[in-house]
Amino acid sequence: MKLYIKAYSSYTLNDELDIKKELKQKYKLDTRRQDAFIHLALYGGQLLKEKCEIKKDDELYLTSGVGNADIVQKTNTYMYKENQPLKLFDFINLLGNTTSYYVAKSLGMKGKNIFQISDNFTYINTLISAYASMLNSKKDAIICSMDFMCEPDVIMKRVMGLEQNSKVVSSVNYQKLSLNPDGAIAEIEFGLDENSTCKTEDKPHETYASYIVNCALRDKKDLLHVEVFEDKKRTIKVKSIK
Amino acid sequence: MKSYINNYELWCNAGDIKSLMEAIYSKNSALVEDKTFLKDTTAGLGIMEYDDIYSLMREVVTKVLKNSNLDNFKNTLLILGSSVGGMQECEDIFYEQKSYKNIDPNRLSMNALTDSLVKEFGFYDSRAISTACTSSANALLLAKRLIDVDAYENVLVVGADGLCRSTVMGFHALSVLSSTKCKPFDKSRSGMNVAEAVAVVLVQNIQTNNSIELKGVGASSDAYHMTNPNPEALGAIVSMQNALKDAKLSKEDIDYINAHGTATLANDKVEALGVEKLFGNSVYVNSTKAITGHTLGAAGAIEAIVSCEVIKRFLIPPQTGLENQENLNIKINKESVKMRVRNVISNSFAFGGNNTSILIGECK
Repeated sequence: MKLYIKAYSSYTLNDELDIKKELKQKYKLDTRRQDAFIHLALYGGQLLKEKCEIKKDDELYLTSGVGNADIVQKTNTYMYKENQPLKLFDFINLLGNTTSYYVAKSLGMKGKNIFQISDNFTYINTLISAYASMLNSKKDAIICSMDFMCEPDVIMKRVMGLEQNSKVVSSVNYQKLSLNPDGAIAEIEFGLDENSTCKTEDKPHETYASYIVNCALRDKKDLLHVEVFEDKKRTIKVKSIK
Repeated sequence: MKSYINNYELWCNAGDIKSLMEAIYSKNSALVEDKTFLKDTTAGLGIMEYDDIYSLMREVVTKVLKNSNLDNFKNTLLILGSSVGGMQECEDIFYEQKSYKNIDPNRLSMNALTDSLVKEFGFYDSRAISTACTSSANALLLAKRLIDVDAYENVLVVGADGLCRSTVMGFHALSVLSSTKCKPFDKSRSGMNVAEAVAVVLVQNIQTNNSIELKGVGASSDAYHMTNPNPEALGAIVSMQNALKDAKLSKEDIDYINAHGTATLANDKVEALGVEKLFGNSVYVNSTKAITGHTLGAAGAIEAIVSCEVIKRFLIPPQTGLENQENLNIKINKESVKMRVRNVISNSFAFGGNNTSILIGECK
């Protein structure tokens, strides 16, 4: 399976930038009623929009290894520890497609949008889903891969099977993908399983493969990336179009 | 490559498929008016009898496997559609203990449900889709697309959602929850009923004697408002048009629409308008949520199964709970209609204007 990458954006959360402020002041977006998970997705989308044209009928895939665990912690604490009623917008933000709605709205998209979550081959599985749909629709697609580390991060690390002293980060990585090579900066090939006896090192977030792809695009280098889960591996090849 | 629905099973507030279809045709709603979740008021809810969502899923999936042409699921992709995943169990523990200490994080997130099925049945691959009320409809959509490109031969779609305090209280906070049994498309409807269910559909690239064809899938995004659909029904119309186009069929080929029909003021008004604009009164339309309630992420799979049964039984179900139809320009039948049903569109619409239409029909 092969697609062409037209543009990309990457952002890893740090303390230097107030994303909410940036969204309001620089991009003039309404940030009310949204939480930090949604803000991170919106920010990555705006960075992508600066680099390419996003069409109304582009498809949108938002994928995450763990999803918005922060809002689950928050709502549970409200309801069961503090005996507070569930707040309306916390309930809405709890739902998977809320983030994809805000992203679609901020980018002016009306095409299909899907929130896919998986802790095994998260990014590659989403590439396969997008590819299958694009072959039918002939539209371009935007993939947003993101993971947001909530505080305390103990649950996230337990979900990811990491030691408590591991370093985890919040990161958002976008690519605009197309079946058409015109104007592409790279081609990306991916496929289904091959057997494997390899082991990989701990990832700092579940959508790390998307980040690695974007690093190769940034450096204009070719890439062979292998992900392993139990006895299976999946491979992504990125070939820069110079 | 064509896609066929070759097997399915479900469990909901009305019981199994046989009991559910009996309830639908006899207009015997399985909804209850319950006080469990809300302190000062009742809520119409669809509550089923089961131990926990994990064991119920295993039970329903096992039935599908037994009745299928497969020995196991080792060459099958699992796609789960759920709006809350493993949150029910997490909520119960937190409610009791006020602490995360004893919550198993691997049973908390959306893919906790898929992981448990992969461990039990050894699926080739799995993924989870969470787009609120379109989750399992989108799982069916993805199943068809993946079979289209020959990526997989067998896809098991599971729609599963257990009743959670968060969802009941959340819909209550939105003021869309009816305190009584819902009345889709009625002038006096007062909102929806949150419900729970597990529905399992086996989609394959081969036709069997019992197949129903998954002919087309369509989707669209309003991106109009977080909780309200586009008032001109643009999202709903595009979604149904895309399903027709995908199936290479025209509107005259459709005999029945199993509507999303939640009985909220906004959904039913807009969905009826969408059906009116696209089909006029040429096609029977109704909502079986008057029997099941709104099973959220499981609704798309539940209603796909109901649609398969309607085709096989040559019997369009009646609209339960309807007294005074709001939009008189669409054809809502109060009694069952015996007829050949060639093709059915099943609509699922969700928050954020996430719209999905599934088109299934008799095999040639």
